[in-house]
Amino acid sequence: MATDVAEQVTAAPAGTRQRARQATAVSWLIWPALLLFTFFFTLPLGVLGVMSFLSGNPVNAPAVHVTLRHFERFFSDALYLDALWATLRIGVVTTLAALLLGYPLAHLMARAHSRVGHALLMMAVIAPMLTGIVVRTFAWMTLLQDRGVINTTLIALGVTEKPLKLMYNEFGTIVALTHIYVPFMVLTLAGVIGRVDERLEEAARSLGATRWQAFREVTLPLSLPGILAGSLLVFALSISAYVTPFLMGGTDVLTLPMLIYQQVSSSFNPNFAGALGVILLAVSLAVVIAYNKVLAGLSGEEGLS
Amino acid sequence: MRPKLGLGRIAYLSVNGAILFFLLSPIAIVSVFAVNPTPYISFPPVGFTLAWFAKFFANPDFINALWLSLKVAAAVLVLSMLIGATAALALARGNLPGARLATALFMSPLMLPAILTGLALFQIYLLAGIGRPIWGLVMGHTVVAVPYVIRTTLAVLHNFDRRLEEAAAALGANPVRVFLEVTLPLIRPGVIAGGIFAFIVSFDQFPVSLFLVVPKGETLPVVLFNYMKFDLDGAIAAASMVSIALALTVVILLEWIIGLRAYLKL
Repeated sequence: MATDVAEQVTAAPAGTRQRARQATAVSWLIWPALLLFTFFFTLPLGVLGVMSFLSGNPVNAPAVHVTLRHFERFFSDALYLDALWATLRIGVVTTLAALLLGYPLAHLMARAHSRVGHALLMMAVIAPMLTGIVVRTFAWMTLLQDRGVINTTLIALGVTEKPLKLMYNEFGTIVALTHIYVPFMVLTLAGVIGRVDERLEEAARSLGATRWQAFREVTLPLSLPGILAGSLLVFALSISAYVTPFLMGGTDVLTLPMLIYQQVSSSFNPNFAGALGVILLAVSLAVVIAYNKVLAGLSGEEGLS
Repeated sequence: MRPKLGLGRIAYLSVNGAILFFLLSPIAIVSVFAVNPTPYISFPPVGFTLAWFAKFFANPDFINALWLSLKVAAAVLVLSMLIGATAALALARGNLPGARLATALFMSPLMLPAILTGLALFQIYLLAGIGRPIWGLVMGHTVVAVPYVIRTTLAVLHNFDRRLEEAAAALGANPVRVFLEVTLPLIRPGVIAGGIFAFIVSFDQFPVSLFLVVPKGETLPVVLFNYMKFDLDGAIAAASMVSIALALTVVILLEWIIGLRAYLKL
């Protein structure tokens, strides 16, 4: 025993030095990713920001100057402000709906005791993800359109005479977006809920709490980080959605991503598109920060009480 | 402790049943329309036909797009596994001063609206005058796919016992051999899981592709989207079934070829 320790003490510095040398060598492996992100992520986004303050394309128009007119144009036009507002509204409602539907399922998945049950639930959640956004939007179009599955069934049952207006509006957009993003919420939440020790809930119950109380007072607060992460993910995805608002929203819905693509494809105004991109980026960053603050406050209170 | 089947438990299970129904029934519906013979989408189904599949496979636009999507996704799979695994190793095992910052940077495509990545790449390709080449599309997809590989690989690296590597080194293996025979087999499940995600992300990628594809050189999701703007018939349903089947096949193949072997070695 004593010789063991002595050996370790004398061997330690050499081992540490070798380890440090290896760590330095391993550090070089960061370069491929760093180069990829520099040239295909950071630099392009920087250029996007710069472009939004320029009057034109600096490569083929030498008389380019710095201007705020793209932002002025955005904030002085009700059409654009409405689009911003609609994007946020769709993002928030979709996130809340996905959380409401995703939490029970994530809870069931995290608490599934049989391996088969867990695997089946996992497949049920992954299968829609494999199906793709365009295909799932198609599925909702066949369900919600005037001659779609739901309206045909309702009319056959005599519930309604005229088809209900279920799509080509914000409602249809949100329903389809929720369906598309629930799996992301479930997968994020299931990991976090799974790490909440079930014995804590059992302890609360043995102290007289009902199952619902034990959940509300123990598991729910402890899963707040998962709620935060899942909500941010779904929000970022849904304010960035293009296909679903375009196809499900019809002429009723106009969102920032739709405006951005319009500027690139038909108006050929990459500078204004850049300004729209900067606004979308600012909005998502602001929401991330605000959400973080709110939840930090919430968990602080929980900790005190 | 198995929960008793009380009223609360019944409510809990039926809520979850309803959510699962909401998740899965739209996909089941697509398979119904893929074989329903009416010329437009109508319900209930009136028969069985494979004509929509025939229409899909006879349409060169669909087939070319399918090939392009598969090629791009395969390239993204390889690139993101290489770049993601090396980056995760450097982040977990290196002594980089800004490791936390670098991790945040590499994860940011997950939080940033993907349409911005597409727009930004479109603009820089435009300014650089390189047009919209396929490799540009592949790089765009790789940027949004790499975070998945880094995340899954980091998770594995944080969980595994470093003493295994130290033991191998103490027994005389040189660092390269330690890496090849200990580290690599141990992180392989993480890299593969991330790679499968990367493949799916690329195969299903829309917002980045939208800006970076050229006419007649579009990926399958973009072609399907353009078709759906004007036509809503069974061909889309058939295309959906084909792309679901392909994605599933690739996932199962990958798992079977590389995954199972890796798990057996553990």
